[in-house]
This record gives sequence, C-alpha cells and structure tokens, in this order.
Amino acid sequence: MPSPPTASTDFIPPHVRARLKDLQLIARQAAGVQGFGLHRSASRGAGLEFSQYRAYEPGDELRQVDWKLYARSDRFFVREAERDSPLDVWLLIDTTASMSQGDAARPGWSRLDAAKALAACLIELALRQGDRFGLAAIGNGKLRITGIGAGPRQRDRCLLELQGLVATGAWPDETRLRPLWEYVGARTLVVSLSDAFDEGVPRLAERLAAARREVLSVQLLTVEERDFPFHGGHRFRDPETGDELLSDGDSVREGFVARFAAARAALASRLAASGIRHVEYVLDEPLDLPLRRLFKAKAGA
Amino acid sequence: MTLSLLLPIGLAALAALLLPLLVHLARRSEERVIVFAALRWLQAAPQPRRKRRFEEHLLLLVRLLLLAALALLLAEPVLFGKPDRSPWVVVAPVVDPAAARRVIDGRLAQWHWLAQGFPAVDAAERPSVAAASTKPSFASLLRELDAMLPVDTPLTVVVPDVIDGADAERPMLTRRVDWRVVPSTSVSARVDAANHAAPAVMVRYAPDRAASLRYLRAAGVAWQATFPSSPAAASPASRVSVAPASQALDARTRNLVWLVPGPLPAAVRDWIVAGGTALLDAQAAVPELANAAVVWRDDGGPLARGARLGRGRIVRLERDLLPAAMPGLLEADFPAQLQRLFADPMPAPGRVNAMAYAPRVGAAPYAETPRPLAPWLAALIAALFIIERWLADGPRRRSAS
Repeated sequence: MPSPPTASTDFIPPHVRARLKDLQLIARQAAGVQGFGLHRSASRGAGLEFSQYRAYEPGDELRQVDWKLYARSDRFFVREAERDSPLDVWLLIDTTASMSQGDAARPGWSRLDAAKALAACLIELALRQGDRFGLAAIGNGKLRITGIGAGPRQRDRCLLELQGLVATGAWPDETRLRPLWEYVGARTLVVSLSDAFDEGVPRLAERLAAARREVLSVQLLTVEERDFPFHGGHRFRDPETGDELLSDGDSVREGFVARFAAARAALASRLAASGIRHVEYVLDEPLDLPLRRLFKAKAGA
Repeated sequence: MTLSLLLPIGLAALAALLLPLLVHLARRSEERVIVFAALRWLQAAPQPRRKRRFEEHLLLLVRLLLLAALALLLAEPVLFGKPDRSPWVVVAPVVDPAAARRVIDGRLAQWHWLAQGFPAVDAAERPSVAAASTKPSFASLLRELDAMLPVDTPLTVVVPDVIDGADAERPMLTRRVDWRVVPSTSVSARVDAANHAAPAVMVRYAPDRAASLRYLRAAGVAWQATFPSSPAAASPASRVSVAPASQALDARTRNLVWLVPGPLPAAVRDWIVAGGTALLDAQAAVPELANAAVVWRDDGGPLARGARLGRGRIVRLERDLLPAAMPGLLEADFPAQLQRLFADPMPAPGRVNAMAYAPRVGAAPYAETPRPLAPWLAALIAALFIIERWLADGPRRRSAS
C-alpha cells in the first residue's frame, strides 16, 4: 500500500522501522469483532481454519453441510471454521508533566518523545495488520481522544495528534476519564505508555483489565532514574507537584536505587496480578525492545 | 640550556591562582534545578557544609595552568644556551668555496660567507667583493661572528693569502680559530690614480679678491706642466676656470675655490654636500670649521683648516690669498700644496698577509644572547584557553538545554 511521506518519519528512526518488520501485534484473548483480520476471534463461521462440527440447524446454508460426513453417519453436520478478525488497539498516552523529563546526557529525548515514538511504532504495526487503532492522551486534567479507525488516513490523523501532544499538568480524576469507557469497548487491546508514577495510571489499567480489556503497560524510565549519576549537592524538583528537595547525590544514591527498584517490582507484581503484561523501557534502550518483549515471545508460541 | 626570568616579580601574578580555586569552591550545582519526577523515593540529604570540595577537577586544572602560564609570560622567561653545536666554517668572499672544501673536511659543518649577515654558502649568491667602501672591515666581521656564536662552537675561517680591509691590530677573539689560508685567484690590484692627476678647479670670486686670481692661474699653469699626461691637458683653459661669484657652479667639476667673504650661499652649500671639495676664503663664515683640524701649515702657523660637509669637504684658508699674508704663495711648491688640498685623503693601509693576521685568543667572553620563550608560551596559552572554553562550554551547554 503506497503511503505518502508523513510525519511518522519524524517519530520512527529508519533502523527501528527496519526492525519492526518481524514484529506482530498479538492479543492474548480472542478479540476480533467483525470483518476479516489476522486475529483469532470468538465468532465461528466460514473460514480456512477448521474449528468444529455442529448439528445442522434450519437456516444454515446447504453448501456448508459436510456431505461426506452425511454419507457416513446419515446425519447433517455443518463444518465451522474459526474466523480471523481484526483487532481494536487503543493507545493510552500519559501526558502529565512528569513525562517531559529527559536525561542531561541526551537532551531533546524526553519520556514523552519516547512514548510518541512507541505509539507511532504500534500504529505502523496495526496498520500493517489491518487492525483498527485509536489514541487517547491523558494529562493536564483532561482526556483527548482520537476515535478508532483503520487505514493510512487514520494513521495520519493519529500522528498529527501525536505531534501536538505536550506534557503538562497532572493526571485527571476518574470522572474526567469516564468518556474513555464509551470508546474503549470490551475485548480490545489497550497499550498504556506512561511512567506510572501517578497512582491513577495503574488503577486505570487494573479497572480496564477487570472489565475484560487486554491491557499492556510500558513504563518509561529515564537513565537518571535507573543509575542516579549525580555527584555533589543538587536541587531536585518534582515537575507535577513543584516540590523541591536538596540532596547530595553520592550519599543518597544507594538508598534511592534500592527504594526505586522495590517500587517498580511492587508495581510489576500488582499489574501481573491483574493479568496485565508490563515491561519497562529506559530511554537509552532501543525503541523496539519493549515491543519485542511484549509481542515476540507470544509469536513463537 | 638554562631557564631564567628577566622579570621575576611578574610571578606575583601567580596570586591570581586563587580565583579559579574560589570559583570552583562555590557550589553552583545546587543552584541549578534538576527535574526529577521520582522525587518521592528520594531522600533529603543536603551536602555537608564542612567538607570543602572542588568541583569539575579537569576544568579547574586547565584554568590553573592557564593562569600559571600567563604569570610566567609576565615574568619574561628566556632560555640560555643554544642546542645547535655544529661547527662553523666561514669563507672570505674572495675565496673559491670549492677550493676551500678541498683543504677542509667540513661536511658536518655549516658553511657561511664572511660577509654582512653571514649568508650560507650554498644558498646565497657570493657576496660582492667590489663594495669595499661600505662593507664592514674584516676584523669587525670576525668579532661579530665571535660574539654571535655560542662559546664552544668550533670555528674555522678560510681566508685568501692577502687580506683586504684589515685593521691596524690583529683581531682578538674569545675562542681559538682554525685559521686556513687558501691561495686566492683574484686580489684586486686597485691603483688609485685619481690622486695623482691634476685637479680641475673652478674659481668664484668677489670683486675685491681679484688680486688673488693671478696666483691661482699660475698654479693651474704649473699643474699643466707637472701632469702632462692627464686627459684634461688638451684644454688648458678648463684646468682653472675663473668666473665672478654670481655665475652658477658647474655640477661636473668637483673642486671649487670660493673667494667670497661672508656666509656660504645655499646653492654652494648644497653643491658641497653633494660631493664637492671647496677651498673657502679666509673671511667665509662657516660654523662647521670652528675647531676643525689643520690641514696645511707652515712655519708661521696654520694656513688652512678642513672638515667634511655631507659627502664633500670644505677647506678654509686662515689667511688672505696674498703674498703679504701668505709668503708661501710665492714659493715653487705652492701648486703642489694646492693640489694636495684638493686631493682625496689617502685611505688607511688595509692590506695584510693572512698568515700574519691570525686572530689572537684572550678577549673577554661576550654575554650570551638569551632566546625569549614568549612566542612559545603565547601559543601554549592560546591552546589552553581554547581547551578551557571547550571544557567550560561543552558539557554545560548540553546539560542546560
């Protein structure tokens, strides 16, 4: 399918785009709804993959009757096949102020930039598989939704929306998030791209998972949060609350790294308990690594 | 090689080393705010105030080096001693260098001409031998070379068997010189015939000096008889040409008798400065001749005083050019005496046998000229400054954006 050069070239570096070729969006639950796609669906019908025989019921098409089986058993059976259906993919992007944080070693590459690039990668994958996708940006007390759809025009619409995202403000309360439930239907794939520092993020993921949405979570971390490479006294400021803290890098490094690792492990186990696949992505890692961790293992099985 | 400082008080600028130390003690990193969203897992632990620590060690080191180099530059460091100790061979310009190379094994040596500037033998043209009047004397060149070379550099001098332009004294140098005499092909046999020719004289006189003219004319006739072979003999009238003072001077004639009292007109003075020789009247007022040397005397006292004026000469008579004042005017040798006044002074004898002119050893050693280190230090300072700017700007600009 010929696609004009769009803004997506800004998000995905060429070498990452080349490595996307062997990746595939795979949902664990059968989630296809209508039409023909790549994903197993709950609905049975005409198709290529044999599923089961069932007894003939009035109204079935005669050409679906297995006549050879009728010859053996003298009863009418209907061949049923699994229908492969397209998937609905929702991308939840955290645009709170903490997403604007980047590393001093690589300015111009913030958490939000990485989230945009990952979202663009997922959109490319979904477009290639014929899946439908939508975008929800949550931040600054608001919810911005780009409705679900398929095809290159939907891709361009989503990339245009991605271009305009700015990381400010705090996570909205639950009443503001209520419209999300009208868009994100059951049996859809929801990918959350966030730093998950706000309590609202894992809670939303848990509620979505409890409501039979398949939720994937990518936690975006900076290199400074992983390594804490500060020496001497520094003034640290939380971008969302505005709190400031004066601290000596060398003396608090070990305590911070240990506490932060424990918090991440607690988050991972909490999400795993809800059946949410959770991966971490540190900003100096290759862009396709979290996608590979989420989807590649499944592709082999 | 020894290093020394011409202005050691410049090292007081080393006190400026305190500045970067103080700058690096100030904790500017605490002033910069770091955005850090994972703040709730971070402990507050301010840096202890007691412990003084320097930040950005590499930048501090470069800044200290930069200031130290600047202080050293103010102290004007110089380096004594020249690393180049290769022997020197100097060749007098009249000697053929090929002949000199046959008698001297000087393959490792530096070959130079014994001429002004000491140009290298292979690179430069042979210095002109003819310009003898303007070039410095032989001994002067030797002394200059002796002062210029480091103390223990071996020196070989190649000279012709007859040296032109020698001083009255054997040169005295600080070092032993390998004195090689090479038979020279061309010794300039300059015969100065000009002093033996009859002078052509023009006479300019004031009306009241007309009585003196007959003695000058008589001298001219006498010269004609004395120097019959001179080329000017064909036209006897031109030997002594007499004209009133108002007539302009002839630029081609080199000799003038100016029998006019009072100060010299500017035209006459210019003519003398341009290279003429003038015999002035006793009443001529010339300030340059106040205490000049006596060039002609008889039993009664000085008859004429002379001095140089520009490129020419002036000679003033002390008495009137009349037999009553100057009895010698009537003597038979007056024309010869007059001719001697106009003749160029004989050059001092300057030709000597080279073997007899070998330099002696024993002059007080010269103070060595130190080499200034300022250019190298300036280049080092520039490099340090570039490194300092790069270190100070690069990482900070990256973290700021």
